[in-house]
Amino acid sequence: MLFNSIDFAIFLPIVFVLYWFVTKRSLSLQNVLIVCASYLFYGWWDYRFLALIALSTLVDFLVARQLQKETVRKRRKALLFVSLVFNLGMLAFFKYFNFFIESWVDAWQLFGIEMQTATLKIILPVGISFYTFQTLSYTMDVYRKKIDATNSFMQFAAFVSFFPQLVAGPIERASHLLPQFQTKRIFNSEFAISGFYLIIWGLFKKVVVADNCAYFVNQIFDGYGSYSSMELFLGAVLFAFQIYGDFSGYSDIAIGVSRLFGFDLKTNFSFPYFSRDIAEFWRRWHISLSTWFRDYLYIPLGGSRGSTWQNVRNVFIVFLVSGFWHGANWTFVVWGAIHATLFLPLLLLQSNRKHITSTKLSLQQVPMLVGTFVVVTMAWIFFRADSVSIGYQYILDIASFNSGTTQVFYKTSKTVLFTAIIVVSIGILLLFEFLAIQKDKKEVELNRYTAIAVVLLICFMGVFKNPSAFIYFQF
Amino acid sequence: MMQLFFKRIGFILLLGFGIAMLVSAGSLWLLRQSSFYKPSFLVNDIPEKNFDYIVLGASTGLTTLNTTVIDSVIQTKGINLSMDDTALSSQYLMLEHFLAQGKTTKFCVLAPSAASFDAKDPDISDNDYRFLPYINEDYVFQYFKQYTSTRAKLVSNSKWLPMLGVSYFNVEVFYPSLFTIIQPKKRNRFDAKGNYTYPIKNNKEAAISEFKAFPVSFSNHYIAKIKALCMANNIELICYFSPIKGRKVIAETTSFSIINHSDVLKNEAYFYDVLHVNTRGRQMASIHFANVFQTLLK
Repeated sequence: MLFNSIDFAIFLPIVFVLYWFVTKRSLSLQNVLIVCASYLFYGWWDYRFLALIALSTLVDFLVARQLQKETVRKRRKALLFVSLVFNLGMLAFFKYFNFFIESWVDAWQLFGIEMQTATLKIILPVGISFYTFQTLSYTMDVYRKKIDATNSFMQFAAFVSFFPQLVAGPIERASHLLPQFQTKRIFNSEFAISGFYLIIWGLFKKVVVADNCAYFVNQIFDGYGSYSSMELFLGAVLFAFQIYGDFSGYSDIAIGVSRLFGFDLKTNFSFPYFSRDIAEFWRRWHISLSTWFRDYLYIPLGGSRGSTWQNVRNVFIVFLVSGFWHGANWTFVVWGAIHATLFLPLLLLQSNRKHITSTKLSLQQVPMLVGTFVVVTMAWIFFRADSVSIGYQYILDIASFNSGTTQVFYKTSKTVLFTAIIVVSIGILLLFEFLAIQKDKKEVELNRYTAIAVVLLICFMGVFKNPSAFIYFQF
Repeated sequence: MMQLFFKRIGFILLLGFGIAMLVSAGSLWLLRQSSFYKPSFLVNDIPEKNFDYIVLGASTGLTTLNTTVIDSVIQTKGINLSMDDTALSSQYLMLEHFLAQGKTTKFCVLAPSAASFDAKDPDISDNDYRFLPYINEDYVFQYFKQYTSTRAKLVSNSKWLPMLGVSYFNVEVFYPSLFTIIQPKKRNRFDAKGNYTYPIKNNKEAAISEFKAFPVSFSNHYIAKIKALCMANNIELICYFSPIKGRKVIAETTSFSIINHSDVLKNEAYFYDVLHVNTRGRQMASIHFANVFQTLLK
């Protein structure tokens, strides 16, 4: 079920009423309702993969319970190993099996050896990368004795399948979200209203910003060979806003919907295009994933406390794995490598935490913002391209500064209209975010009147006829 | 606690959607006053009541039959009411709309693409939203109501909630309506007699030697509906097959007259693409049509 669908517009109020009016008196019943609603939400897309979520829930629930009881180190390690193998194995099979096979064949072809192998027709279950990482963090935290294993299967099932963040995050930690399923929820109007505002803002980002940008992005990336350097560059800029509006819009809606049910999810995006360097970008972009990799991969590898060589290695490993997490394609690995390369100088010069305390922006910092945005945009080209060679050619075509116009943006009255809508919507997005940053807020804050204005913008500037699926569903 | 929440979101949703509803109703009103799309062009820009013929069709009818040329050749009074990217069902709706304005015609020239005559039309056509400003007319409402797709439902329910259709087709409806405030007489890609032409892309002379058969069996049930509507209003129906590059339509029926010009243009220089003629081809095809049509008039 998509957040921007009529199905969800019917589903949400029904679950809300059942949750706060029918099951209000019983915590257990509320959790049962959340599990049922979440399975319905997921099964609406493809019910066959519900078994995978159920299996993942069961395995990690049992492993964590056993870990809690077990004191022998070797056995504890073995139990953790079971969880890792199961979760990563599931991910590897559904997401990476064909990629590994094809890469294996390609590698041998480099040496002139032809191999005949069969690939499987595997459908990627939506959100598998998100919920496997969420359950993995639970067993790893229990293993590290940071949290206690829960005894309630229903609470754990609700934590794993919680529908607002099931298919595209934010990836929540058990230490933060699981206790919320264990305590009685009291309806807080202000909290719920802030959630409602976030839903509206998230819809604006998705339906207005992202989906309008998609109109040009798809044209330009699909036929990149026939566009001028400026058109290609602007196409990449629009993709930067498309993916941001799409993914952060989803996160905002997820956080907003959770608040309607009394749950507090962590911030996933914190105005990333106002970053002054790459390190700050990664503190603002997909925070739940980058902190996951920091805590469960980077720090266990030694973080930045080792030798220079070890620091370089750790940064590369984290960024490459992070890129690979996004999808079974070398384009994502290259995207990760570019970010690692951009991040390393800051780490080595120990200036990666330079902007950690100051959030407010000044006019003198504009060149830093623009510079960071441009390099991030260039890296996005590989993220969007179908193959590494296409991404490379796309960048070469931009760098060639070939003569040409920006005709694609004003060729017909319809394209002029789309261009105008995009310029206005991105302007509004950046203005609201800039104001929030200057007020030191974590999220864009609407009031009742700006909320009405945003509702009107959604109605008259949104894309409803040919909406795009959320990009991060494929991950 | 819950009361405050419902009050606040109720205020936002009611006021937000209330304003959206008013803006949408205003948008449809503006389009009704304009000449931007064919349905309102017919109402606002065409004072004549009686015609010798009207042309109903999709892009083929729109860009092949130039009523200005036809009228100058055989001294008739005609108008082109074709709309691109529409189906036979839309042409039926346009005929109803034409008659609803109290206008009459002796002949109705049906000129959609040849494939339309056998299509199923399971959904509204891509450009049927052009009738949205007239959703309160019963014939328009009934037309959209018969379809079950989401977009058809959104349009039909716009009778009560205009925001549904206007938001869904905002690029096609809302923004053009704003444009009509500045230029109410602006027509969207057709001239004062409803015609439009494709430019000459390729002026290369190359004879077309082979014409493959393209059988048409008139299985689309809207043919019968259009025929019945014509009969009820004393209109003679003519089905016109426009030139197709390298195809010859094979079609026979005794129910109505056919003018089959699918293979009449035998040079690539007359074509814009496989299905559409260019300005040169339009001139030729219109003269061919006028000559045949003249015999039917007698």
